[in-house]
Amino acid sequence: MVHSIFIVAKKEFMDNFRNNWIIALSAILAILALLASYFGSRDLEWQDFEFTIRIIIMPVQFLIPIIGLMLGYATIIGEIEKGSMGSLLSHPVTRNEIILGKFLGLGSVISTTIFIGFGIAGVIIAINISNPDVGLYILFIVASILLGLAFMSLSLFFSSFFKKRSSAMVGVIMLWIFFNMFWGFLMFGLLIFTTSGGLSTPDWFHQLQLLNPTVAYSYINQNFIENHWIILSLIAWSIIPMILAFLIFKRRDI
Amino acid sequence: MVKRTVICPNCKNQVTLQGSSREKIYVTCPNCNQKGVFTFLEDKTDLKTINQSYTIEVNNLTKFYNGFKAVDNLSFNVKQGEIFGFLGPNGAGKTTTIKSILGLTLSSLGNIKINGSDIRKNFKEIKKNIGYQPERVAFYDNLTALQNLYFYSEIKNAPKKDCMKLLGEFGLKDLANKRVGTFSKGMTQKLGLIRAVLGNPSLLILDEPSIGLDPQGVLLVREKIRELNKRGTTVFISSHILSEVQEVCDRVGIINKGVLIAQDTISELSKKLKIKPKIIVELEKISDRIVEAVKKVEGIDKLEISGNKIEIICDSKTRGKVVLAIGNTGGNILNVQTKETSLEEVFMKYTGG
Repeated sequence: MVHSIFIVAKKEFMDNFRNNWIIALSAILAILALLASYFGSRDLEWQDFEFTIRIIIMPVQFLIPIIGLMLGYATIIGEIEKGSMGSLLSHPVTRNEIILGKFLGLGSVISTTIFIGFGIAGVIIAINISNPDVGLYILFIVASILLGLAFMSLSLFFSSFFKKRSSAMVGVIMLWIFFNMFWGFLMFGLLIFTTSGGLSTPDWFHQLQLLNPTVAYSYINQNFIENHWIILSLIAWSIIPMILAFLIFKRRDI
Repeated sequence: MVKRTVICPNCKNQVTLQGSSREKIYVTCPNCNQKGVFTFLEDKTDLKTINQSYTIEVNNLTKFYNGFKAVDNLSFNVKQGEIFGFLGPNGAGKTTTIKSILGLTLSSLGNIKINGSDIRKNFKEIKKNIGYQPERVAFYDNLTALQNLYFYSEIKNAPKKDCMKLLGEFGLKDLANKRVGTFSKGMTQKLGLIRAVLGNPSLLILDEPSIGLDPQGVLLVREKIRELNKRGTTVFISSHILSEVQEVCDRVGIINKGVLIAQDTISELSKKLKIKPKIIVELEKISDRIVEAVKKVEGIDKLEISGNKIEIICDSKTRGKVVLAIGNTGGNILNVQTKETSLEEVFMKYTGG
């Protein structure tokens, strides 16, 4: 079983890492972090990791989900439509191994992209500042990778669920809009409704925000919720949609 | 003479057999009386079990798509070592049947066995011995031909060195390191066949294998099918090109509206339909006397004259009488040719086309 998963993962990695846009995204993430660190303050000098993360987290919480969703939305339905899924399934490999292999392969692509992009930027920033908080920056990279995995896992679920590639694409766009735009209105409305315009934000409000992986990610190092809960939430978001993808794909006619 | 030790699929008893290459023998296990057939293959030296008589057994297969019955209580068998043609008009249920055999669609009812094993149990092991070429051949476009084949050979646990060898045999060696996305339909089709034969499967399922191929490609595919079959591979072909099926298949199954309406050799199906062959007698000169004499022969269904040829549809017993009648008139016969029933005729009769 492990052998087949590894082979599928390796193929996914090779197939997707050849896409130049993945390499370009690494460069974009690196440039984004460097710009945030150097041009983020009025002083035009290198800022520490805490400052850099605070500046960069906003664009990253929009960008990384897009990478994750675009990477995975066609991985099942695209192969079914094209015909390569039928050929693959005629080989000695199970459907669960394919899903797991794809998750690992695409997960490696997104992890490598983020790691290289933010890693290079991190090294450059660390050289130029005194007493860098490396632990905090590593936490930021880990959370960014988990955010990517969460959305990639969601796209895997959409790719298994929808019967057309175009529907899966519309589905992931709607999901992105929901988490990044509609969610804010929803939570704000809920807050007004439940607190009757009170000034303090109740604890449950922040806990409820863990139901949105992008908000959970933006809470990193913000003291609303402890970091380990945020990481756990992102891990759950990475695993649960993949399990649902398993269940749907298992019963699907190719 | 070669010796093989095989394992009884029922009681796991080891049985030693002796025979010559390509010889098919009927085996009875001395321990449990399990019956089976074993073929001494040319290239395979390590067959581990007594092969069952049937490579594919489809029993009462029924498949619904949103309430529509695509396949209706379908039952048929494909014998071990034969080339079986699976025919039917568009939408007859051919692809659904193939997909069910491969576990790509989950059958609503019925069961399917491959080499005696139910595909619902341990299908991963069963699939190690299956090669499949779908009608719509697709690969991973960003990867090269060789990278694609390496991927499938790794999944199948087949030797990687075979990939380059097969690319050479199919005339694609120069394209080994080219991205498959740049391939023409014909090249992709050939690559699809290479993928199907990787690892020397004992069952080859081909869905329209000649689509998109040039005449040389068609001949190459036909040659490969025969070659693999000679080595003991059972071949299941679904094709619209009836002449191709007639050329290579031992038996055919005809499906229409999800129901299997016939299954036999082409000659047996012709007999069942009472389709008689055609004899073409070429003469130096055709006279009214000759035509009258032929018309008088009993058992003639149809007589047509074209140039200096008389085409007669009659059964095999009448053929001799026709030739004799022409000879008695003094006609000078240049050539007598028998044209057997074409699969096309059989197919049209069965499907009502």
